[in-house]
Amino acid sequence: MPDSPAGGPPRVPIEFGSLEWEEEVERYGPRSSARTQAQSARKAIEVGMAKLDWKRCKADGPGGAKLPGCRKLYVPLGKEGASHTPYGFVFQLIQKPDDSLAWNLIAFGERHPANERTRNVYERAHKRLHGRYP
Amino acid sequence: MATVVKRLDLTVGEIVEVAGRRYEVVSDREGGVTIEPPITPATELHARRGTKPASAADFERLSVDVPFDDEG
Repeated sequence: MPDSPAGGPPRVPIEFGSLEWEEEVERYGPRSSARTQAQSARKAIEVGMAKLDWKRCKADGPGGAKLPGCRKLYVPLGKEGASHTPYGFVFQLIQKPDDSLAWNLIAFGERHPANERTRNVYERAHKRLHGRYP
Repeated sequence: MATVVKRLDLTVGEIVEVAGRRYEVVSDREGGVTIEPPITPATELHARRGTKPASAADFERLSVDVPFDDEG
């Protein structure tokens, strides 16, 4: 699904790899809030009905998370404020074998977990990119 | 009936299988370890799919107008 409106920069599709989806979203229970919110957000993205309020990730972020070349979306889509958007998707810009570009899901999870032992979505994204938690 | 305790000598980074599902041993940030579903490294996924991270120039071209927040 293209991420940019008409007249904007080149359109880049958003992709949800099946393995990443399983590891990031399906780790939650089938009826959990996190999983149902992720599914709703993905559906809205794929049908092209969602306004995507992208944010850039930091190459050297808080807590040591290093996410160069990445962007994020708060979930649920279309809402504001951390209390209304407790989850996030993180996507990495990738180049495919045919040289086309895509935003590929690398992490989904809580932005600010209440339980301090729970890894936040940025730590999960860092681990996928670098092989270990920051 | 007495509960039988299975003692496991696990270290961070190992993969264990429980009831057919794989988990990675990770730090619990309190000096111990816990298990969680594994996160396949992006490098492994890129190798499988023939993809690679896009260049910094491509990212900047597409993201020049995208704001940062105060998170990660």
